[in-house]
Amino acid sequence: MLKAIIIDDELYAREELNELLVENKNVEVIAECSNAIEGLKAINSLKPDVVFLDIQMPQVTGLELLSMLDPETMPIVVFVTAYDQYAVKAFEDNALDYLLKPVDTARLNKTIKRVQLSLEKEAALPDYTPVATQQLELIPCTGFQRVLLLEPSEIEIATSEQTGVHLLTSEDKLTASLSLKVLEEKTVLIRCHRQYLINPSCIREIKFLDNGSAEIITKSNHSAPVSRRYLKLIKDRFGLA
Amino acid sequence: METIILLLQQLCVYVVITYLLSKTPVFIPLTFISGRSSHRIAFYLLFSSFCILGTYFSLSIENALANTRAIGAVMGGLLGGPLVGFAVGLTGGMHRYSMGGFTDVACAISTTAEGLIGGLLHIYYVRKGKVDNIFKPMGAFYITLVAEIVQMVIILLVAKPFDQALMLVEAIALPMIIANSIGAALFMSIIQDKKTIFERNYTAFSNKALRIAQSTVGFFNQGFNQESCHSMASVIYNETGVGAVSITDRDKILAFIGIGASHHLPGTAISSGYTMRAIEHGEIIYADGYETGYQCSIDSACKLGSVLVIPLLEADGRVLGTIKLYEPKKKLFSKLNRNLGVGLAKLISNQILTGRYIQQQTLLSQSEIRLLHAQVNPHFLFNTLNTISAVTRKDPQKARQLIQHLSQFFRSNLKQDIEQVTIKEELTHVHSYLEIELARFAERLTLSEHIDQTLLSIKIPTFTLQPLIENAIKHGTSTLLGQGELKINVYLTEQHNTNVVVLEVIDNAGCYKKPVDSSGLGTQIVDKRIKNQYGEQYGLTLSCVPNKFTKATITVPILSN
Repeated sequence: MLKAIIIDDELYAREELNELLVENKNVEVIAECSNAIEGLKAINSLKPDVVFLDIQMPQVTGLELLSMLDPETMPIVVFVTAYDQYAVKAFEDNALDYLLKPVDTARLNKTIKRVQLSLEKEAALPDYTPVATQQLELIPCTGFQRVLLLEPSEIEIATSEQTGVHLLTSEDKLTASLSLKVLEEKTVLIRCHRQYLINPSCIREIKFLDNGSAEIITKSNHSAPVSRRYLKLIKDRFGLA
Repeated sequence: METIILLLQQLCVYVVITYLLSKTPVFIPLTFISGRSSHRIAFYLLFSSFCILGTYFSLSIENALANTRAIGAVMGGLLGGPLVGFAVGLTGGMHRYSMGGFTDVACAISTTAEGLIGGLLHIYYVRKGKVDNIFKPMGAFYITLVAEIVQMVIILLVAKPFDQALMLVEAIALPMIIANSIGAALFMSIIQDKKTIFERNYTAFSNKALRIAQSTVGFFNQGFNQESCHSMASVIYNETGVGAVSITDRDKILAFIGIGASHHLPGTAISSGYTMRAIEHGEIIYADGYETGYQCSIDSACKLGSVLVIPLLEADGRVLGTIKLYEPKKKLFSKLNRNLGVGLAKLISNQILTGRYIQQQTLLSQSEIRLLHAQVNPHFLFNTLNTISAVTRKDPQKARQLIQHLSQFFRSNLKQDIEQVTIKEELTHVHSYLEIELARFAERLTLSEHIDQTLLSIKIPTFTLQPLIENAIKHGTSTLLGQGELKINVYLTEQHNTNVVVLEVIDNAGCYKKPVDSSGLGTQIVDKRIKNQYGEQYGLTLSCVPNKFTKATITVPILSN
């Protein structure tokens, strides 16, 4: 049985796809999400085999969600859209699977078969980068009993800890559902340590330490360590010989 | 007595000359009063000549001259004011002085005084605001009477020896007073007649032109064609009373009314050489049937005997067509109608151009509406079909309803080639759209409406609310992670002391950003159409508090009917 997650902002669209997948009997729908933020969390926690992803969704689109997924835990993604000429063209150009709403059962079954095959053969995942958003505009975060969307420029430090990836802003400490790697690739944040990213426009001070490493103090007095490995890169970036 | 008759005879010659002069353009300035200096100089020259003329037409009596010089001086003052009166009197007086005699000085002084007396009456009338009284012959009579009495007194006072002066005055006082007063009255009467004729023609002309202009406004808004030309031609025919009126474009007759209408048929090609020439060269052609021959080019038995062909010109000078005025063989072309014809051609040209402009504007807005209709967003269509597909499984009844709403929506979209609908009709259209969107977004969208039911019959341009509601959902509520709320309000309010109808569409997203280039946007078209129809003070305004709400407000007037 394929474990599938449906992500679509329209209730009826989710129900419809769910019904069709249930009819197929080879798929188990393990979650239905009504937006990309819930979807991201569900993917990260449930690790599905396949995600049916709507493109047009509020705040964070399907293609943005795609670029938030960690390549290491990336599921197979089947795009679902009612009408989006450009996206459809991009899918075709990159040989990515997509479904058009209203979804045709025959086409859906064919898609499922293909997903099963590629899982069985443990084939490499298709390359989603050409259609994924290159720069993230909003980072979904969870705080205490709330979800919010941060602009990358608001983040001063991102750090990966046991409990997840934490984002420090001038006022807040939030937990993101994105890996440091994704944040590094898709935002302005740069790496200063294996477990730290820093926003270069928020640096107030770089303290050089005796052991060849350094410490960065941000505008809001957060501090992040700079490992020897990354210190040179940071020095280069700021023209400090 | 003999002197009186002799002097009156002289006066007759004088009056005849005046009458003849009144036939020339020289006289036109005399028919109105103005303070312009060019006008005053003309008055001075004219009346000085009359003054001198009066001296020449004098009778020699007792070493002195019985004359009608006073008429020129008094009239000069009366019509031209004291300055002109003084100058005329002085000129006439100096001229008299140069002729010598024992009364030369007395006459020079008295003529100047007479000019001034006329001028004083002029000032009196002007100050009293009774300029028209200047033209009353009786006024001229009395003031000349007074002026002549003053002259006699001056002669008695100034001329020496006194005995001789007294004898002279006894001999000439009565004839001169009578002759000059009557002469002045006659002179004024001629001016008054001239003035009346001039004004009557002028009024008739402007009245006619104004009536035609007024009753033909908007004739060409539907285009320059046979129908509109026929209406135009019949107004001109009735107002001018010419034998026939015709309007052509560059190739054919568009309208013909009047004598000869039986064979000058609208729709037939132009055959007249004059018309072709007028079109080709853009010149006005007048064939009076005598100097320039005229013969109808269609029927040799045609009763029309003269024609005036005037080209209708575009702003850049290109010829659009012609207007032709005809008179029958037994009637002469009046100068009035000839002038009027030229003015009419200008009027018609302008009306055609305005009409064309208005037509283009309407066409433009119509094509824009069509474009809006065509812009039924494919997202909407396919998402709707998907919703229906899903609903069919669980609730076939509801699916049927949604299909009904969808067809209703498309049907009214296709049907709306009319310019205006009532608010009720627009709301119905909007509702079929909203029902679908409410189903599609299910729990994520709610709608609340506050609609003043008394305003449902108010007319608004078609497709006014629809784009606003579409925007509020597409760019508003659908971008929210949480609950979307859409509000539609229709109410009456007062703005600058007039009642206006307000239609509001409010979403709770607050995503609206002022576009950089707004031309051609749906909202822009909505605004433009309302402004076109009702004026600049109405239209669409958009306000937004980010993350709170976006409000689209439409205002339209309440119009009777």
